[in-house]
Amino acid sequence: MNSSTNETTTDILAHVLLPVGNEDDALATATALEPYEPEQVTALHVVEKGEGVPDKTPVEQSEELAAESYAAVRTVFPDADDRTAYARDVVEAIFDAAEEVGASAIAYRSRGGGRLMQFLSGDLSLKLVTNAEVPVIALPQADSKE
Amino acid sequence: MSDEELAKDLGLVSAMTIGIGTMIGAGIFVLPGVAANAAGPIVVVSFVVGGLIAMVNALSVSELGTAMPKAGGGYYYINKSLGPLFGSIAGMGDWMGLAFASAFYCIGFGQYLAVFVPLPEVAFLNPIQIGALIAGAIFVAVNYIGAKETGGVQTVIVFILLSILTVFAVAGFFAFDYATLVGSDGLAPFGTGAILPATALVFVSFLGYAKIATVAEELKNPGRNLPIAIIGSVGIVTVIYAILVSMMLGVVPWPDLSQDAPVAQAAQVAFPESIGPIGGVAAGAAAIMTVGALLATASSANASILASARINFAMGRDKIVTNWLNEIHPNYATPYRSILVTGGLIIVFIVFLGRDIEVLAKAASVLHLIVYALMNVGLIVFREADVPEYDPDFTVPLYPITPILGAVLSLGLVAFMDRIEIALSAGFVLVAVAWYFVYARGKTTQQGVLSDYIGNREEQLPDQVVNAADAVAPNGTEGPTIMVALANPRTESALITLAGALAKHEGGRVLATHIVTVPDQTALETAAADRGQIDATSESLLDAAKADAEAFDVPIETKTILSHRGIEEVFDAARTNDADTVVMGYGGTQFASGRAEGTLDELAHDLPCDFLVLDGQDLDLSDVLVPTAGGLSSDLSAEVAKALQETVDVAVDLLHVVDPGAEESGRTFLREWAAEHDLADAEIRIETGDIERTIERIGRDYSLVIVGATERGLLSRIVRGSLVFDVIETLDTPVLLTERPSSRSLRERLFGRE
Repeated sequence: MNSSTNETTTDILAHVLLPVGNEDDALATATALEPYEPEQVTALHVVEKGEGVPDKTPVEQSEELAAESYAAVRTVFPDADDRTAYARDVVEAIFDAAEEVGASAIAYRSRGGGRLMQFLSGDLSLKLVTNAEVPVIALPQADSKE
Repeated sequence: MSDEELAKDLGLVSAMTIGIGTMIGAGIFVLPGVAANAAGPIVVVSFVVGGLIAMVNALSVSELGTAMPKAGGGYYYINKSLGPLFGSIAGMGDWMGLAFASAFYCIGFGQYLAVFVPLPEVAFLNPIQIGALIAGAIFVAVNYIGAKETGGVQTVIVFILLSILTVFAVAGFFAFDYATLVGSDGLAPFGTGAILPATALVFVSFLGYAKIATVAEELKNPGRNLPIAIIGSVGIVTVIYAILVSMMLGVVPWPDLSQDAPVAQAAQVAFPESIGPIGGVAAGAAAIMTVGALLATASSANASILASARINFAMGRDKIVTNWLNEIHPNYATPYRSILVTGGLIIVFIVFLGRDIEVLAKAASVLHLIVYALMNVGLIVFREADVPEYDPDFTVPLYPITPILGAVLSLGLVAFMDRIEIALSAGFVLVAVAWYFVYARGKTTQQGVLSDYIGNREEQLPDQVVNAADAVAPNGTEGPTIMVALANPRTESALITLAGALAKHEGGRVLATHIVTVPDQTALETAAADRGQIDATSESLLDAAKADAEAFDVPIETKTILSHRGIEEVFDAARTNDADTVVMGYGGTQFASGRAEGTLDELAHDLPCDFLVLDGQDLDLSDVLVPTAGGLSSDLSAEVAKALQETVDVAVDLLHVVDPGAEESGRTFLREWAAEHDLADAEIRIETGDIERTIERIGRDYSLVIVGATERGLLSRIVRGSLVFDVIETLDTPVLLTERPSSRSLRERLFGRE
């Protein structure tokens, strides 16, 4: 446990929710989180749903992607739990999952991308940090392969 | 709610709008002018006939869709029923049909865009093609990025369209003049013979309903909603087409109806110039119609591009196309390659065939009609073969008349197409067949229900049928998959040699896996960071494996698996890859590393397939000894020995150890056993004494000893280190331990010789 500084307050790393997009992203994110030695990790993959329109990616394919991502997370955190959410609003789904698993924090790695791309794909970082009810940890980009 | 239910978020209305939204773009906004010009006012009948043909097929699609609510639609059903050869044709037909249809919708979009905006002429491209190319590029980009349509936009678009069209219909009703409809040459100026060729042209207006089936896995309550949406949307658009087209022709005489933007033109005429003080009503109505047309063609094209990615995915899942195509974009989470390839095709079609919208429309129809015909045949096969998994919630009425009628009508309509579209489509069918034999046949593992059906009735069916079925059967599964779990470069060659010999003997393939175990305690930090190094090690190991397997001329696939779980991962990988045999090193016991013994015990007690465990690093195969006392696992030993005998020409000796005095009965047993296992030419040795000591003493002179596990779960105990297998430990000669799972037959377990 990494709580030598303040024994009394809630440990922010007690149960980290780790939203991951794909295998590479999952591995990079988990590796970035690894040095901080979180106690418990739950990997989350949000399958983007159209809710009224067909999805951009076949659901079955998204689920394969989720399974690969969880496997990648487990190469770093073997005991990590996993959770798959289905929603149109990815950030909202992350918050819901955080509440449901009782996460102490959400750790994520910005996927980068220019301003235009962030706009088009709906700048998740901004929404994530502005609306969260639990602490949000932005992981460093160090030695990711991107 | 289960995950599966969470993934389903399309209700009946959404499903219906997918169908209507895709169909209505073409039928109302693009084709009436062209079709009326070819057939005269009787073209209304052509639309109704098209609707009826679509309806018959819609019934079949509904049955298949409720039986298998899977991504892929028509392709999936055909691949499942008629096998991968027809699956390839259907997949190619569906995919290219959608690309042609998308190109057609883009041209329609360009036609209306050209009404609004002056577009330039570039090189050999007319302004409409330029508009279509712009549209095509935008649709592809939207799907590539997966920019979110705000929820329900499709629904809103369809409702806007329906309201616009209703207003249009009302205005048209007042402007309708029967004399205009009839014109000077009567209802059928080209005779009734013009009806069916016009149906062939406008059939593209009905292609949307099957797209509902391609997203069936996302539908809530597909058993109910799928048939209602499919049949309902066909019914609704047929009625809309009949009303609106009659109305347009009653407003504008058919020879004058615009070939490019008929609805805008008809609106201009149908609406009064001014209502009270408000002027410019007609021009405004025409503008609104133009916007409607842009929305309609855009949503059609969009839905088609999306559906084509579904079909690619389904084909990739069955290994008919490479999964490279279905890679998901790391940032946008879209199947971007599939979308780009489809987009490229659309652009090629627009550029080279875009001057003649009829060719695009008919090529799309021909390809879809071929798929519909195959689908109806597939339905009959499912019903006749009486597959237990085939349990549709909706069944077609009047079986078998409906599917037969569907197939006949679909192919019949193809006959009314022109030569060029038939030739184009035939070309794609041939490409699909060639593709199947050159590429897909060796990859796919899917056998159709049809070939099972034929295979199971070999005696009752004529030889030609059986031979024909065999000739086109996939050979991806003809032989077993021999999975090799590699961990150590020193044992690589020996393990691959065994696997290669087996694969060659049984006509199978080798799957070499490098399972990189990342120990829990130490390597956490480095595991991922060292990925580069792991990759390099893996690569050289797997390359060596490839080279060794090539010596046997057997197909080999390689895979690196990064795992914390060691031996469990071997079991997992064997299951997920459908391995028939796993070959691994005795050193693989190091995999166990003391974790999760309970689970491991369970796993090893329930072997997913045959296991061969080799103790020894160098194999210099010249002669093998197979000690046996019968039993399942020594059947496996015999198979391995036979394979080695045939492929690397080793001498096989059989050994049976008996109590003193029982030599003669032992000899009889072993002779029979040898004959049963196709090893009658093997040398037979009968010895007396302690089994293990005898094996040790005699085994010394051989290059390999193959020992069958004498009891169930032996492997598990060895792996866990709870049993020291003396023979393996004391014999210098390499030992191959074989274990065959016995769980598949209770009888064997109860009565088998142990």
